[in-house]
Amino acid sequence: MAIDTAMPILVVDDYKTMIRIIRNLLKQLGFNDVDEATDGTEALQKLKAKQYGLVISDWNMEPMTGYELLRQVRGDERLCAMPFIMVTAESKTENVVAAKKAGVNNYIVKPFNAATLKTKIDAVFGV
Amino acid sequence: MAKKASRAEKIAQVMDEVGIGNSGDITINEILSLAQTMTKSLDGVYRAVDASVQREFREIGSYIEVMKTDIAGLQANDLQETHLPTAGKELDAVLEATEEATNTIMECAESIMCADASDHDAYKALVDEHLMKIFEACSFQDITGQRISKVVETLNMIDERVSRFAKRMQVEDAEGHANEDEADRARRKKDLLLDGPQAKGEAINQDEVDNLFSAA
Repeated sequence: MAIDTAMPILVVDDYKTMIRIIRNLLKQLGFNDVDEATDGTEALQKLKAKQYGLVISDWNMEPMTGYELLRQVRGDERLCAMPFIMVTAESKTENVVAAKKAGVNNYIVKPFNAATLKTKIDAVFGV
Repeated sequence: MAKKASRAEKIAQVMDEVGIGNSGDITINEILSLAQTMTKSLDGVYRAVDASVQREFREIGSYIEVMKTDIAGLQANDLQETHLPTAGKELDAVLEATEEATNTIMECAESIMCADASDHDAYKALVDEHLMKIFEACSFQDITGQRISKVVETLNMIDERVSRFAKRMQVEDAEGHANEDEADRARRKKDLLLDGPQAKGEAINQDEVDNLFSAA
C-alpha cells in the first residue's frame, strides 16, 4: 500500500532550523503539505482545527512538551488514532519506553538522516 | 558541689546577720547588704563566664576573619561582573554564528534542490557558487570553538574557586533545592523525562531504539 503523499503533516519543534530540515526532507520524500508548530499547545490547537495525517514531534519543548502532546492526543477521542512519530535528542531508554507506553508509533533519535525518516514513516503506515 | 555549699553557707550567714531568718521587717539596708554579699560570692563565676565568653567571641572573630578571606577568595564580584557576563556573551555569539551558518547552508541547499537542472552549464555554475558559500559558512566552526573554550575556562575557574571554598569551610551539600523555582524545574524535568542530549556513549542509538520498539 502506498502512502498518501498529499496528506497534511504537522511538524512540531521549538527549533526553527529543525522544522526547516524536516520540511525539506519531507519535501524530498514527496510530502509537500507540511504545517509547523513550536510547542505542544500550538500543535494541539492546530490538530483540533485541521485534519492531519501524521504528527512528527520533538520531545523537549516549552511550555508543553512532545511527550505531553502525545498523551493529550492519545487521550482525545477525535485524535487518538493519529499517527505520531517522536523525533528527539532525548535518547535514554526510559524515554523510549515511556513514549512507547504512551502510544507513540515510532521514535527517531537526533541527529538522523533522510533514510531513517523514510523508514519510520513507511513503518507507521505499514509500507 | 563544694562551691555551691560554700555559697549557700555565705548566704545563710548573711541572712542571719541581716535577720532575715527571723520574723520581722526587712530594711532596704539589709536587702542591699544581702545583694552585696551575694554579688561578691558570685564574683568568681562572673569572671570565669566573662573569660570564656571573651574567648568564644575571639574565636568567632577569628573564624569570621578566615571566612571573610575565603569568601574574598571566591572573587564573586569578579565572576558576576566580568567572567559570567563574558561567558554569556560568548555563548550568545556561538548561537548567533551557528544559526547564521546553518541558515546560509540551508539556503544554499534549498537553492540547489529547487534549481532547474535542464540547462547543464547554468546548473553547474549555480551548484559551484552555492558550494563555495557552504564552505565559507563552515568556517564558523573555528571561531565558535575558540569562544566555547573561553566559556569552558570560566566554568573551570568557578569550579576551582567554589571547590576550594567548600573544602575550606568543610561544607556539606544541603538536601533539597535552593528555592521553589529550582524545585519546580527539577520536578518538571523528572516527571516529563527531560534530560536533553546524552553524552557520547551514554545515549542509545537508533538500532537500540528500534529493538525496544520491536520488543513486546
